[in-house]
Amino acid sequence: MNFNWEFFWQALFTPSRQFLDGLMLTIVISVVAMALAFIVGLIIALMGRSKFLPFKIFASLYIWVIRGTPLLVQLVIIYTGFAAAGIFRFEDADLFGLVIRGAVQAAIVGLMLNESAYVAEIVRSGLESVERGQHEAALSLGMTPLAAMRRIIVPQAIRIMVPPLGNSFNQMMKQTSILSIIGVSEMFQVGTIISSATFMVFEIYIVVALYYLLLTTVWTFIQAQIENVLNTRAGLPKAEPVFKRLFGVRSKKMTRQQLQQHADAVKA
Amino acid sequence: MSNTSETATMADGASGSGAPQGESIVKAIDVHKAFGDKVILSGVSLEVARGEVVVLVGPSGAGKTTFLRTLNMLEPIDGGEIHVNGQRIGQKVNSRGKLVDCSARELAAQRADIGFVFQHFNLFPHMTVLENVWHAPVHVKGENKNEAVAHARELLEKVGLADWAEARPRSLSGGQQQRVAIARSLAMRPALMLFDEPTSALDPEMVGEVLAVMKDLANGGMTMVVVSHEMGFTREVADRVVVLDGGRIIEDGAPAQVFSDPQHERTRQFLSKVL
Ligand SMILES: Nc1ncnc2c1ncn2[C@@H]1O[C@H](COP(=O)(O)OP(=O)(O)OP(=O)(O)O)[C@@H](O)[C@H]1O
Ligand SMILES: [Mg+2]
Repeated sequence: MNFNWEFFWQALFTPSRQFLDGLMLTIVISVVAMALAFIVGLIIALMGRSKFLPFKIFASLYIWVIRGTPLLVQLVIIYTGFAAAGIFRFEDADLFGLVIRGAVQAAIVGLMLNESAYVAEIVRSGLESVERGQHEAALSLGMTPLAAMRRIIVPQAIRIMVPPLGNSFNQMMKQTSILSIIGVSEMFQVGTIISSATFMVFEIYIVVALYYLLLTTVWTFIQAQIENVLNTRAGLPKAEPVFKRLFGVRSKKMTRQQLQQHADAVKA
Repeated sequence: MSNTSETATMADGASGSGAPQGESIVKAIDVHKAFGDKVILSGVSLEVARGEVVVLVGPSGAGKTTFLRTLNMLEPIDGGEIHVNGQRIGQKVNSRGKLVDCSARELAAQRADIGFVFQHFNLFPHMTVLENVWHAPVHVKGENKNEAVAHARELLEKVGLADWAEARPRSLSGGQQQRVAIARSLAMRPALMLFDEPTSALDPEMVGEVLAVMKDLANGGMTMVVVSHEMGFTREVADRVVVLDGGRIIEDGAPAQVFSDPQHERTRQFLSKVL
């Protein structure tokens, strides 16, 4: 096998400035897109629960279209397609002296739109998982529907929503690799540039893979921490340990036990 | 636990402001309710005087739960009027003299004065037992937190659960949870307490402890409307038994009279099953 170990170790442990910039961009785009997606997703979920029919219809259509089409196609449409049709062009913008390239803006908007549809579904099922009786008990104590949502329903739903939201974020971080298609110089794009300049194709893509692995692993730790804090606050046992999440050893017994815990929690 | 000096303070909400002494706390007039084209309540009228304990009985599907829920507008009504403690629930006359629905905030304020105890307790699982009790007084009524916590501890003491203040609701037995639920409602110092089959989800050995708390409450002067099939409790505690059948009240009288000499054939049939 032809493998340049020296190049590999160097690229792995002393990555170039260019590579680190790509890594940074991957993280920033992911975090910003996720934060925005959370807000938009929440709005879509609330529209879906609204009694106002046009809101309901809009939310359903939005979720249907976005989840039913590939992210890649969505990105190309909003960046290249819109510009070609003269609808909208993402121009480089200046934010507090920091130039944000049009492609990066399009990437954030595209990922945000895409992710928000998934967030909306997670929020919807999270809110639905809280028993109706909770809402009624809150109302009977004199809370307005809004206060009941804020003080009783959401705090319980959050705990249900965090695991799928975290997994969705994990998914999204990996998906940023397709942003290279619209010319965003995130980590994968930088890897491609290095590979064509050095011809160390295998080596550099292994390095790229390892960095993605690092990102998702670090996130898994953070997510486990968040879940534990929430579970402790709710007086529940600790969430699944990190090594089990990472290596997928979720035994059947564990799952059944968790189902039981969930059933008990619902019954209570 | 059934010491009268305790129970007097336990129901101190009942002597609060609102309707003058002797006037009815509940006044439901010709209440109609349907789900789709299925009529559930067809003209139910009921008055409950201050301090009175009314037990609502009737066959399954008669509309007992639905009627109880209309009393605090958990279930909106299609026709009729409901007044609690001198206030018309859910509706008001606006500045142009027209009858309009209350705002969410106004309706919430009305509900704050009406305790509701559910069959399945519906305690808040993300709070401790103590917080379940003081949460609404602080966040809904704006009571001082220290005072609300002290009051909550007092109420837990009265329902016999002082030692469980820091526990999570799910670690309690059904009977204990229901007693917490009662304390949670009492913490709002309600003018009226509604109970929807408070013991029917409990194991038989836990029924007594909940009924004992309710009996204390009744002895303390609380106005109560209770849906229950506990005939022993009814005989002992109820001032009146009201029989609901097919969305109408078919019988209304003192327990002794209703049980021994029912006026209606349907009551006879129903009672033969539960007595
Ligand atoms: N939200 C609803 N939508 C449609 N139908 C309903 C709804 N709630 C209750 N019903 C129906 O209304 C009827 C009366 O119900 P309700 O719960 O008031 O009876 P109940 O007297 O409390 O009976 P039970 O003794 O079984 O509790 C039942 O036939 C029930 O199926
Ligand atoms: Mg019922």
